[in-house]
Amino acid sequence: MGLSARGLRAAAGAAVVLLSAGALQAQAPASPGQRYRQAGDLIRTGDALGGIAIYRSLAASGLESGSLYWNWAQAAAARGEAGEALWAILRGREVEPGDRSLLRELERLREAANLDPAELAPEPMAALARFARRFHLGWLALGLAVLSLAAHLVGRLRPALTWPARAAWAAAALALLAAAAPLAGATARPTGVVVRRGAPLLDGASATAHSIGALRQGEVVPLLESGAAYLRVEDSSGARGWAHRDDVWPLSN
Amino acid sequence: MAPRLLAFLAAAALAAAPAPAQDTSVRAEVDANRVGVDDNVQLTIVIEGNAQLTGPLVPPALKNLRLVSGPDQSTQVSISNGAMTQTVSLIYVLQPLAAGRAEIGPARVRLSSGEKTTAPLALEVVPGSIRPPRQQRRSILEEAFGGDPFGSSTGRGRPRAEPKVTMSAVASRSRAYVGEPILITYYMYTQASVASVQLTSAPQFPGFWTEDPDQAKTAPQGERTTQGGEPYMRFAIGRRLIFPTRAGTLTIPPAAFRVSLARLSVFDGGGTVERSTATLQITADPVPTTPDFSGAVGEFQVRAALDRSTVGLGQAATLRFTVEGSGNLKWVERGPQLAVPGARVYPPQVKSDLKVGLDGIKGSKTWEFVIVPETNGALIIPALPFSYFAPSSGVVKHLESPPLTLQVEGPGAAAAPGVPAAPARPAARPDGLALRSDLDIPPRPLPEPGTRALLIGLGLVLLLHGVVAGGSLWSQRRAAVPGRAAPRQSVRRALGDLEQARKGGLSKEQAAALIERTLHGVFGNVDENGAGPVSERERAIREVLQQVQFIRYAPQLGDYSEQIGSVATRAAEVVRKWA
Repeated sequence: MGLSARGLRAAAGAAVVLLSAGALQAQAPASPGQRYRQAGDLIRTGDALGGIAIYRSLAASGLESGSLYWNWAQAAAARGEAGEALWAILRGREVEPGDRSLLRELERLREAANLDPAELAPEPMAALARFARRFHLGWLALGLAVLSLAAHLVGRLRPALTWPARAAWAAAALALLAAAAPLAGATARPTGVVVRRGAPLLDGASATAHSIGALRQGEVVPLLESGAAYLRVEDSSGARGWAHRDDVWPLSN
Repeated sequence: MAPRLLAFLAAAALAAAPAPAQDTSVRAEVDANRVGVDDNVQLTIVIEGNAQLTGPLVPPALKNLRLVSGPDQSTQVSISNGAMTQTVSLIYVLQPLAAGRAEIGPARVRLSSGEKTTAPLALEVVPGSIRPPRQQRRSILEEAFGGDPFGSSTGRGRPRAEPKVTMSAVASRSRAYVGEPILITYYMYTQASVASVQLTSAPQFPGFWTEDPDQAKTAPQGERTTQGGEPYMRFAIGRRLIFPTRAGTLTIPPAAFRVSLARLSVFDGGGTVERSTATLQITADPVPTTPDFSGAVGEFQVRAALDRSTVGLGQAATLRFTVEGSGNLKWVERGPQLAVPGARVYPPQVKSDLKVGLDGIKGSKTWEFVIVPETNGALIIPALPFSYFAPSSGVVKHLESPPLTLQVEGPGAAAAPGVPAAPARPAARPDGLALRSDLDIPPRPLPEPGTRALLIGLGLVLLLHGVVAGGSLWSQRRAAVPGRAAPRQSVRRALGDLEQARKGGLSKEQAAALIERTLHGVFGNVDENGAGPVSERERAIREVLQQVQFIRYAPQLGDYSEQIGSVATRAAEVVRKWA
């Protein structure tokens, strides 16, 4: 009996351990991939808001990708939120500048929203910054600069050799060329997308401010200043004012 | 054609022909039946009709009157309804002789149709003068030239007085909402005869948007008015429709005019005067905007219509959204945003039919959307909103066109001309949306260097380049000391010189001098015949220099190019090894 009692206690203990492990396993957070697929399922069943909420939490945790923003844009477009769909596609382009399908979708959404191409690109230098990011021109410039330094050193140490001097000059020139794109791109002002139709342009950053106009849904506007709840923006006509952060979503972090 | 023309001309000739003589009437008139002894009275014999005078008029018999002047004859011809009528007036000026009764007897007139007689007239003459004083009779020169041309020389002339001409700008209202029309009228008040009026500078309307009202280009019509108790003629010489573009008190600066006065005679130079209007103040009230306010101010109506109710898949339909009414519709540039699920909507074309009148802008503006369905079935064109500010009620009003239905039937023919074909897209995906199944987080091995990091990195490399170059320079200066190695830049040049000596083409003296100069340039002053212990480096240099001296001073008995080449090669080795 005593043995069987010990056996029972051992079995009970093992069961508790197993149950606890099962419970822990059940409570373990789903992986990003699982949550991503769960969001897709929600959207397919008609819960676009639920799917977008998952995408938003994934993006907030740093798990941004072109696919995530692609799906986000599809869900937003299905809800009729053209501005949010455009923001998602543009944000996806920032994350993955080389994704061609994002560019095609961007063009489709732009036409659907009756926007001029210039209204989506108020800062031409931003394209240069994306190009530099896509091809890692910053790192390339630094690498070439170091290479030119090394060639210079070799040339000084081995004066009888002629190629190091040529290599040093060539590498230095290429380094400057490569650095020009990210440096020029850095002059572009940050931008945001008007996500709400008829979003008001206000004369102040307060709830009691007067409306001085309306922003166009989907339009990309440069961000001039940033407040707690408001952003100072400039629309395509040059009018400057404040817009609520809920109405204009920034494109860069 | 010719017979018709002849018939028309004949009819016109008959219509213009003189009427029968029996239609002619003759009568006598006086300008007053009761006059003073000191007054004059004017007798007019009026012959009305188409008969011609065939003989002189027999003056009427006068009783208690005398003839002062006359007859003066004037003729007036008028054509009415194709009939021509002629009126001949014979005017006499008579003067009473004494108070009491005066009579004018019948006057006989000989006409082509016969003789006619006027009825006698009776007048009452009272003592003194009862008629208003008449303007002093002007002299013949004054009659002819409008003044005495010799007045200035005779001292009878007077300088022309400052003409009484003023300008005024009148606003139809002094207070309006932003975007509401205000009519500005420029008036000229004058007591003088004016030949022309010109603006010396264009009127300025800061804070306003201006429009020229459409009006007939006719000469301004004058009207009698009083200003400061004096009679004036007033002419409206210009009108401008203005719309405040911002709220607040807006000022319209004075407008300056140059007025050219008419010449009163051939000796009158006319003259020009400058006149300005007064400053106008307009109070513009702000328009309470709402987020979707279009900017239109006035009274409007909207309507929307499709050019067809049924369309084939791939064909295009046109939706016309029209805003019509009175107000600043010219300001409204952006039309409503149209999105039709299941169809591609092209950016609209805007057509305006607006007329600027004196009371504002009226007409319509139409946005034409081309819609190309991409799915079959019934497409719902949503209601299109339009908001405007109504000044009469002081609120923003919201209008909406009714939603429309476009029936799309089967695969259609080619797209409408001018409209790009719809892209081949699945009308409806099996799962509704094209979602991507994998998250595909892009690999990010290194974060991109920021602008500051990039600038610092490049600057650091540049600095290191400088350090390397500076170190090299420092070592060159050290090598400039006799016996030390040559500057490193010259090593490359020295090797080039030695290569030149080795290749030939120089005399043995030139080649020897070049090799010697090169070695001294690289290693400094090394005595090839020096005594005492020397290092391996110095010994190698001395050996080469001694061979050079041998070649230089050797008798010219043969070809030394092989020896020169050998010495140059040896010298290059020494340079490479010891420099």
